Amino acid sequence: MRVTALVILNSAASSSSSPEAADPVVLANATDVSRFGYFQRFAAREFILFVARTVANRTPAGQRQSVQHEEYKVHSYNRHDLCALAFMDDHYPVRSAFALLNQILDEYQKAFGESWRGVKVDATQPWPYLTEALTKFQDPAEVDKLFKIQRDLDETKIILHKTIENLLDRGVKLDDLVEKSSDLSAASQMFYKQAKKTNQCCTML
Amino acid sequence: MNSRAGQTSYRDRTHEFVKAVENCKKSFSSTLNGPSSSTAPNLEGPKSAASIQSEFSRRASQIGLGIHQTSQKLAKLAKCNREVFGSELLVAKRTSVFDDPAIEIQELTSVIKKDITALNSVVVDLQLLCNLQNESGNMSRDTTNHSTTVVNNLKNRLMSTTKEFKEVLTMRTENLKVHESRRQLFSSSASKEAANPFLRQQPLVSKGSNESPAPPAPWENDSTSSSPLFPRRKPIGDPSSTQPLIPQQQQQQQMVAIQDSYMQSRAEALQSVESTIHELSNIFTQLATMVSQQGELAIRIDENMDDTLANVEGAQGQLLKYLNSISSNRWLMIKIFFVLMVFLMIFLFFVA
Repeated sequence: MRVTALVILNSAASSSSSPEAADPVVLANATDVSRFGYFQRFAAREFILFVARTVANRTPAGQRQSVQHEEYKVHSYNRHDLCALAFMDDHYPVRSAFALLNQILDEYQKAFGESWRGVKVDATQPWPYLTEALTKFQDPAEVDKLFKIQRDLDETKIILHKTIENLLDRGVKLDDLVEKSSDLSAASQMFYKQAKKTNQCCTML
Repeated sequence: MNSRAGQTSYRDRTHEFVKAVENCKKSFSSTLNGPSSSTAPNLEGPKSAASIQSEFSRRASQIGLGIHQTSQKLAKLAKCNREVFGSELLVAKRTSVFDDPAIEIQELTSVIKKDITALNSVVVDLQLLCNLQNESGNMSRDTTNHSTTVVNNLKNRLMSTTKEFKEVLTMRTENLKVHESRRQLFSSSASKEAANPFLRQQPLVSKGSNESPAPPAPWENDSTSSSPLFPRRKPIGDPSSTQPLIPQQQQQQQMVAIQDSYMQSRAEALQSVESTIHELSNIFTQLATMVSQQGELAIRIDENMDDTLANVEGAQGQLLKYLNSISSNRWLMIKIFFVLMVFLMIFLFFVA
């Protein structure tokens, strides 16, 4: 379950205007291309940016979209022309992906307010929050509380099942102990009777 | 009874039976010299037995006819079903014609269902009648055998008919599923509505029934879920017939579906969390029950050990006393020597 890239774009007026003028503008970009070989990294980054632009172009305002591209799933969320995209593999749960996009958008708006609307050129400086988000949110449990809760609950359930098995074993052992202790009590009673008998019987000898 | 089209092979010996009855009547009237009132009920006895028997055979023949008609209708329904399934391969051309066989199929289904339930009740009545006759005692062994055989035969045929009906229904739901999946390719907003009826319908249709009283219930449920399905299919049929639509409209529909599916997936996740928590609470209560039960066992063990302790202490006391009495035994030894001396003296007295 990996996140390969997180991109934020400004996709203002991208649907109605002429296609060249209103291509989405990259505002922030974080990519993890460590999986590719050294020589393919640059090409991979370009490819990601290109796909991001295309998908952001096609995502209408206020909508979420998931596109399957080769072995990646691209999830995009367009909120008031601020579009966030995430490239991830097929195992990442879709819901968590959108929760992640929501969070990124909130952070970006908190950090930059509305200043991004005027940006016409691709931003070149990396945004540190995005890069650390990329590493932190490789595991969907971090971003999606529901996922984390579900996972914790499943682990708890497993532990409880083991506990019940142990309890059943304990029950079996307790049964054994009951048997043995009742045998012991019977034997001690016989012992007592025997001792009493030998004491009483031969007072003459 | 000869009008039954069926696989049963039997010989109609009604005429021989009637002749035998007449012979018996004559022999009855010759042997019984009592008052005529006693012969009359006896004459009426075999006569009423014969009338009951003919009543039985009439009803049995009616049932057989009904089963035959029902199986014919069922064959027609299966043919319609296959036609409909084959027509889907021609895609767009027959979308208007497609709806009509669906209505026909629905009508046929309800008619067949009613027939089967009616036949079922009549067969049950017939069986009651048969049992009544057997108990009333006026019949010979062959008659009872014959009536029970006839009833069993009818029941078997009804069961096979209901099984065929069930198979036809299964095929129909499969066809509908295929149609719906095709429709989904064109307009995905239909997916939500179509999912539920299938989920409701499938387990009902797949329920097997080995006795005839059981079948009416699942099929009544089936009809109530299938009838909402059909009116719903009509509005869905229109977008697919006007297939060269604006792609944007389709995209919008898809977008709506994705938004909904996002919300739905969140709702599902919440529900699964809730159900997991419920299960956990169950597990905890079970745990508590088992622990309390085992606590009882622990108490028993404790009591046993206390008993053992008391016994062992008592036994130790006894042994101590014994030890004391053994170790302070001089007085007894003196007594023994005394007795020995007495014996020696007597022995010496006797010898000397």
